[in-house]
Amino acid sequence: MNHAASNSLVIAEAAKCIGCKACELACFAVHNRDNGVGTAVGTVTMPVLPRLYVIRTDSFTMPVQCRQCENAPCAGACPVQAIRQQDGVIAIDAEACIGCKACALACPFGAISLYKAYSGGAELPQPLLQERRDSRLQRKTRITAYKCDLCRNTELPGGSAAGEGAGGRGSSAAAAQDRNPFPACVAVCPEKALRLVEAGTGRSRSLNREGGTF
Amino acid sequence: MPSSEPIIHIDSELCTGCRRCAAVCPVDAITGEPGEPQTVDAHRCVICGQCVQICTAYAPDHLEASDGLKAKRLQRGQLPSVREPLFAAYSTGQALEVKRALADSALFKVVQCAPAIRVSLAEEFGLPLGTLTPGKMAAALRRLKFDRIYDTNFGADVTIMEEGTELIGRVLSGERLPMFTSCCPAWVKHAETAAPELLDHLSSCKSPMQMVGALVKTYGAKQDGVDPAKIYSVAVMPCTCKEFECSREEMEVDGLREVDVVITTRELAHLIKDAGIDFVNLPDEPFDSPLGLYSGAGSIFGVTGGVMEAAIRTGYELVTHETIPNLQLDFVRGEEGLRTATVQLGELELKVAVVAGLKYVSAVLNQVKAGHCPYHFIEVMGCPEGCVSGGGQPKLLLETLRKTAYQARKSSVYRHDSHQQVRKSHENPAIIKLYKDFLGEPLGHVPHHLLHTTYQSREKNVSPISAGRKGGKL
Ligand code: SF4
Ligand code: SF4
Ligand code: SF4
Ligand code: SF4
Repeated sequence: MNHAASNSLVIAEAAKCIGCKACELACFAVHNRDNGVGTAVGTVTMPVLPRLYVIRTDSFTMPVQCRQCENAPCAGACPVQAIRQQDGVIAIDAEACIGCKACALACPFGAISLYKAYSGGAELPQPLLQERRDSRLQRKTRITAYKCDLCRNTELPGGSAAGEGAGGRGSSAAAAQDRNPFPACVAVCPEKALRLVEAGTGRSRSLNREGGTF
Repeated sequence: MPSSEPIIHIDSELCTGCRRCAAVCPVDAITGEPGEPQTVDAHRCVICGQCVQICTAYAPDHLEASDGLKAKRLQRGQLPSVREPLFAAYSTGQALEVKRALADSALFKVVQCAPAIRVSLAEEFGLPLGTLTPGKMAAALRRLKFDRIYDTNFGADVTIMEEGTELIGRVLSGERLPMFTSCCPAWVKHAETAAPELLDHLSSCKSPMQMVGALVKTYGAKQDGVDPAKIYSVAVMPCTCKEFECSREEMEVDGLREVDVVITTRELAHLIKDAGIDFVNLPDEPFDSPLGLYSGAGSIFGVTGGVMEAAIRTGYELVTHETIPNLQLDFVRGEEGLRTATVQLGELELKVAVVAGLKYVSAVLNQVKAGHCPYHFIEVMGCPEGCVSGGGQPKLLLETLRKTAYQARKSSVYRHDSHQQVRKSHENPAIIKLYKDFLGEPLGHVPHHLLHTTYQSREKNVSPISAGRKGGKL
């Protein structure tokens, strides 16, 4: 991939999308392994927070996600430089993010959302602020911005069967997992409505290898 | 008592009308326009839950704030402690009911687990796909305060004794061939709906679950010296249709329900989490005897071809009086929708077929109707790879993992079998004892009373037969 040229992006074809939200679910799954999200729905203890959104109008549905803008306006708006160009994607550093919403406002596609931050599947408290909840003062939950990162640094969950009586301890160490060959949304879409476009070269990679141009 | 409501639903508030459920439904029970909420035709639906497995339209988080999710969980029969997302296609559950019963000290709580649970339950706790945990499962059930931890695999061994004898009888007399298996309630309901004129081709055997249910309140009650009326019999199944099966009118023993309630693999996980049990770190514990001791043959019922393989292991020896040369019958293992084979049982050339997934069964049914079906014995399982892929199994977050998951669960089942000391049903000492002390001969009087059943036509517009659920109108 030629990073010097321009960022790749995932793009959807509205005519193919059936609106099943499989892409949203897959996106959530691969990004939350640290939150204990494994292969089964039952491992989820937090709300489903995707980084792309299937939108619906009267005449079509299609997922919308970050375009990885070359001169990313979100990055320009971020007062703490939490958004950077990194390995061919526009990446948000969740630790640095102060939840100020400037990026979300600046994004022309509505591709950035602010959600509660989770750690180990539980809400991550804000260090300083408190709020009244259930008539008690409690730590406010940390909020951060989330957006598509082309599944950089994510892995497909899965792993093979462990031995009798499950000596094998589960997720973290679980087997050498495959790196995602495609962003998870592209990989799971049953209609192949999504594809990864290498915009710089005009080439596109989709699962069915139609090689459509962008 | 199970409610009189149908079991499989599509939530019209959540359904996006993508119709992926319609694409997996083997009996075309899902109707609706693309982009509009779909509905389930309860008459056709065989309650296999494949639509529940595939649906990815989940309830967005903001419903939580408005108490919308809470209401939906209640409506679905879920414990309030459940955190996982809710999907448009769902099955109603019985975990609340079971939790209530577990707290009732007046009841003697007995549980049985289907073969396919022990290879998938761990997935609900983040362990790798197909992790085999019979010992932890038994330990968890004990901590949930069940008084006896029994096993459907034991019933699978009994099924082989009864069904195998029935098959040999039918083959020798040439009557009502081919004989179909009757372990899968989705298949049975489908046969009753789509081919009622062929019902006498089904084995008269109850499913392993119902056999264990019947034995729990008779043989088991006697062994434990408990009043059968005090026994609360729970079954944990990979299957959404088993709840339907257990409430069929026929499934009674001496006026008592054989199985009082069925929960799915997913619901058992909910109960374990609800009780705060650390599943992953549980020690391995044994099942209780006598109804918890099983052979390898019993444990392979969870995969497509398993009933066939188990039946052949026993049938071969019953017919030939010789030891079967090879226990691993690769010709029935596999994943094609229809597999056929010829097995030499001494003089007898037994022609068998294995159907995995109901959508492959109509061709076979048509052959039987036309009178030129070449097989003696046909195993039919409603789900694509047998019960390991059942509608009540852990639901995958990623469609791309489906093949891997089924493969892992299957190899786990086979590994479990290959590690058993006893791998043939008729050699299971607990089974030998059961027949000696209680049942007598296979197909004899007591087995006939307890372990065999009848079927009913569900053809549309025929008499208003109860469709199984007590007082239900499926
Ligand atoms: S997975 Fe594909 S078809 Fe389904 S909503 Fe996403 S883009 Fe549309
Ligand atoms: S129930 Fe689920 S799978 Fe079926 S059409 Fe609705 S959203 Fe799609
Ligand atoms: S439960 Fe099975 S038969 Fe019923 S609608 Fe769903 S897929 Fe079809
Ligand atoms: S194959 Fe198994 S899980 Fe599927 S419907 Fe039949 S009994 Fe149930």
